[in-house]
Amino acid sequence: MTTAMLFIMLFGCMLMGMPIAIALGLSSVTTILLFSNDSLASIALKLFEATSSHYTLLAIPFFILSSAFLSTGGVAKRLINFAVDAIGHVRGGLAMASVMACMLFAAVSGSSPATVAAIGSIVIAGMVRSGYPEAFGAGVIANAGTLGILIPPSIVMLVYSAATEVSASRMFMAGFIPGIMMGLILMIAIYIAARIMKLPAQPFPGFGALARSGLIALGGLMLIIIVLGSIYGGVASPTEAASVAAIYAYLIAVMGYRDIGPLKGVAWRKDGEGMAGMVLRNTGMMLLAFPKSVTHPEVRKVFVDASKVSMMLLFIIANAMLFAHVLTTERIPHQIAEVIVDWGLPAWGFLIVVNILLLIAGNFMEPSAILLIMAPILFPIATQLGIDPIHLGIIMVVNMEIGMLTPPVGLNLFVTAGITGRDMIWVIKACAPWLCLLLFFLILITYIPQISLFLPEYIDKLHGY
Amino acid sequence: MAVRNLVTQIEEAILSLLLVSVTLLVFAEVVARFGFNAGIHWAQEATLLLAGWFVLFGASYGVKVGAHIGVDVFVRMLPNKLHRAVTLLAIALCVVYCILFLIGSWEYVMKMKMIGIELEDIPVPKWTASTILIIGFVLLIIRFLQLGWKVFRGEADGFAFADEAEESMHLANELKEAEQKENRS
Amino acid sequence: APIEIKFSHVVAENTPKGKMALKFKELVEERMGDEVSVSVFPNSQLFGDDKVLEAMLLGDVQMAAPSLSKFQKYTPSLQVFDLPFLFNDMAAVDRFQQGETGQELLNSLNKRGLVGLGYLHNGMKQMSANQPLRVPADADGKKFRIMTSDVLQAQFEAVGGVPLKKPFSEVFTLLQTKAIDGAENPWSNIYSKKFHEVQPYITETNHGLLDYMVVTSAEFWNGLDDDLRVEVKKALDEAIAYGNQISQEQDAADRQAIIDSGRSEVIEITPEERQQWVDAMKPVWKQFEDEIGSDLIDAALKSNEG
Ligand code: NA
Ligand code: NA
Repeated sequence: MTTAMLFIMLFGCMLMGMPIAIALGLSSVTTILLFSNDSLASIALKLFEATSSHYTLLAIPFFILSSAFLSTGGVAKRLINFAVDAIGHVRGGLAMASVMACMLFAAVSGSSPATVAAIGSIVIAGMVRSGYPEAFGAGVIANAGTLGILIPPSIVMLVYSAATEVSASRMFMAGFIPGIMMGLILMIAIYIAARIMKLPAQPFPGFGALARSGLIALGGLMLIIIVLGSIYGGVASPTEAASVAAIYAYLIAVMGYRDIGPLKGVAWRKDGEGMAGMVLRNTGMMLLAFPKSVTHPEVRKVFVDASKVSMMLLFIIANAMLFAHVLTTERIPHQIAEVIVDWGLPAWGFLIVVNILLLIAGNFMEPSAILLIMAPILFPIATQLGIDPIHLGIIMVVNMEIGMLTPPVGLNLFVTAGITGRDMIWVIKACAPWLCLLLFFLILITYIPQISLFLPEYIDKLHGY
Repeated sequence: MAVRNLVTQIEEAILSLLLVSVTLLVFAEVVARFGFNAGIHWAQEATLLLAGWFVLFGASYGVKVGAHIGVDVFVRMLPNKLHRAVTLLAIALCVVYCILFLIGSWEYVMKMKMIGIELEDIPVPKWTASTILIIGFVLLIIRFLQLGWKVFRGEADGFAFADEAEESMHLANELKEAEQKENRS
Repeated sequence: APIEIKFSHVVAENTPKGKMALKFKELVEERMGDEVSVSVFPNSQLFGDDKVLEAMLLGDVQMAAPSLSKFQKYTPSLQVFDLPFLFNDMAAVDRFQQGETGQELLNSLNKRGLVGLGYLHNGMKQMSANQPLRVPADADGKKFRIMTSDVLQAQFEAVGGVPLKKPFSEVFTLLQTKAIDGAENPWSNIYSKKFHEVQPYITETNHGLLDYMVVTSAEFWNGLDDDLRVEVKKALDEAIAYGNQISQEQDAADRQAIIDSGRSEVIEITPEERQQWVDAMKPVWKQFEDEIGSDLIDAALKSNEG
C-alpha cells in the first residue's frame, strides 16, 4: 500500500511535468504524513540535513565549476589539434582523432552533450571537407561524446556515489579502463570502415609540431592529472581534489589560455618583447586580473551557470534522500529483493532486467535523476545477489550513455541534429551502426565485471590489501 | 524592469558568492594542511552550512530562470488547454510542497531557538543557521505563484526546464561565430 | 495503539551498540509488548549523530546513543569524559559512571530538554599514525583527525600536533593517502573501519575514552506512566549491561585481530613513556577546569583509586 502510494505519487507528479526534485519530495512527504507519525518539523530537519551535512557531495558543484571553466571552444580546439597531430596520419585518422579528442574533452568536461557540441561542431565539418560522408562523422561523434560521463571525472558517477555511499574515487578508477576501451573499440571500427570505404589520412606534422600541440593541450589535460594525482598522491580527498580542480580550471581559463575574462586576447609574448619585459608585464597583468575577474561579465556568467546546474542537482539529491529515506524505512528494496530472490532470478538475469529498465528510463529522464531514483532500489538487490556495487555503478553509467543516443529523449541526438542542421531521423540513422557497438560494449561491461573492477582492485592491492 | 534586473543581479551575486566561498574554503583547507601543516578548525562546519544555504537559496532562483529539470514530453502532447490546466495543477502541488515544508521549517527553527544552543565551531546561535529553510521556502512559494500567474495569463506554458542539449549548443554557436570571424579577417 | 520508541543509531546492527538496541527491543516487547513497541533504525537511516538530538527534541526520535563528545554544546560538563589520561582503565570509568557523580551527570542535559538514561561503552582510545609514536615529541607537527570537540583539539595541540576536523566518511581515504598522519580511536573502531590497514603503527596509549550516552527527550520520558517508565528503564539497564559486556569482549577481540592481521604494529609503551604523555597533556585539564568544574574532575580522578 505504502509502496504503491509512493510510486503512484512520484510518477503522477513527474508525468504532470513537475520538477523532478519536487516530485520526489512531495511524494515522500505525503507518504510519510499518511503512513507514519513523523512531524513536518522532522521532515524539514531531514531536508536540512540532506543539504548541509554531506561533505562528499560537495565534489559535485566543484567539478561542475571546473567543467564550466574548461568546457569552452578554445579548450576543445587545442585538444583537437593535439589529437589530429597524434593520430591523424593513420587511415581514417581524422575520425579516430575526433574520437580521441572526445575522450580528452570528456576527461575535463564531465558532460556528454557538451563534448558532442564542442568537438563535433569543429570536426564534423572538417571531416566532410576531407572527404568523409557527413553521416559517418556525425555518428562517430555522437557516440564518442557519450564518454563524457564514463571517463572520470564524472558528475553522474558522483551522483551514483551519493545515492549508494560507494566511494567516489573508486568509481572514478573503475570508469577509466571501460572509457578507454570504448574509445579503442570505436577507433578500431573506424579503422576497419576506413579501409573498406577508402577514407583519407592526414599528413604527419612532425614530432616537433606534435610536442608543441601536446604541450598546449596539457594545460587543460592537467585537470584530470591534478584530480587523480592529488587523490592518489596523498594531497587531498576526492572532495578536496575537486575544489583544487575548480581553482585550477579558473587559473588556466582566465590566466593561462585567456579564453575568457579580463585577459582575453592578450598575448603572452608580444612581438619583439624581451624575456624580462614579458615576465614583468604578464605578472603585473595577472595580479590585476584577479580583482578584475570578480566583476568581469564572462567570469561571472561561468559562476552563475555553474551555480544553476549545481543547485539544481543538489536540490534533486536532497529530495531524493527523503525518497530513499522512505524506501528504507518502509523496507521497499528489501521486499522487492525478496520477490526477485523468490523467482529464483540469477544475477545475470537480474542484470538483464536492470539493463532493460535503465534503457527504457533513459528515454524519458536525465541520467542523474534516473540514478537517484533507481540506485537506492537496485543497489540492495544487487548486493544480495552478490553483484559488486562498483560494477553495478559502471553498468548504470554505460546505460545512461546509451540513453543519450536513443529517441525520443537523447541529449546527444539533439545536439548532433543542432550542429549538423539535419533532422532527427537522419541523425538517428547516422548513429545507429555505432549505437550497436555501444550495445555490444554494454554486454561486455555487464558480463565481464573485471573490466570495471580491475583498476580499483589493483590500486587496493598496491596499497596492500 | 530595472527593479527586476536588480533583484536578479542580487540573487546571482549571492549564489555565486556562496558557491565561490565554499570552493575557496575547501581549497584553503588543502593549502593550510599541505602547505602550512595547519588546520582551519571552523572550516568544515562553515563549508557545510554555506552549501546548505546555497542549495536552499538557489532553488527559487532556479524556478525563475528555468534551471530545474523535469519530464515534460507527455504534457506537451496534450491539447493546449488541457496542457495549461495540468501545468497549473502541477504548480499548485509545488506550492503545497512548499507550504508543508514551510510549516515544518518554522516549527523546527522555533524549537531550535527555544533550546538555544550554539553551533559547534562558530559562536553563532544554531537556529540562525537553519533560518534559510524558512527564507528558501518563502522565496520558492513566491516564484511558483508568479509562474502560476504567468501560465494562467498564457505568458508561459510550463516550467521551462533546463535543457542540457540546448545549453551545449551555445558552445557550438560560439565556435561557429569564432570561425566566421577568422574567415572574415 | 502501543507507544512507539524509535531508537536511531549510526552503526551496523552487529556492533555492540547495534546489539544493545536490539536487546532493548527484545526485552521491552517481551515484557510490555502490548503497551510499548520499539523500532530500531541502524546505519543513520533516520538521522546522523549531528541531527539526531534535534529530531529527538522535535519528538520524532525517542532514543539515541551518540558519543559523549556530541553533547558539548548541550552541556559543558560532559566534556569531562574527553579529558586525556583522566581514567586509568575501563574499570575506573565504570566506577565513575555508576557512582553518584556519574549518575548525576545524566541529568546535566535536563535544561536542554534531554534525559540521559545510561552510559554505553565503546572503549579506551589508542593513537595510530604512519610513524611510530612512543613519546609526545613523536607527535610534534603531525596531523591528527579528531571529532568535533574543543578538548580533543587542545589535547593534540598540547603535544604540538595539528588537530584536523574531517567527516568520519573521509577519514579512511585521508589516512590512506597520508594526507592526515594519524587518528585516535578505540580498538573496535580501528578494526571495523579498517584503519589498521592504512596506519602502520598503533600506540596502546589508552589515553582517552570514547563512550556513548543513551538519551531520550524529557517530554517523552516524563510523559510515560510512572510504572511503565520504571519498567522501560529496567529493560534499558539490562540491555546496556549486555551491550557493555559485548563491548568489552569486542574490544579485546579486535585488539587481538589487529595484532594477528600483521598489518599494523601495536606499540606498547613503558610506564616512563606513558608518564611523558600524561605530563604533556595534563595541562588540558586546567584549561577546561572552569568550564567543566574542578569537583567533577576530582571525582573522576578518585574513581582510579578503586
Ligand atoms: Na568526464
Ligand atoms: Na534516450
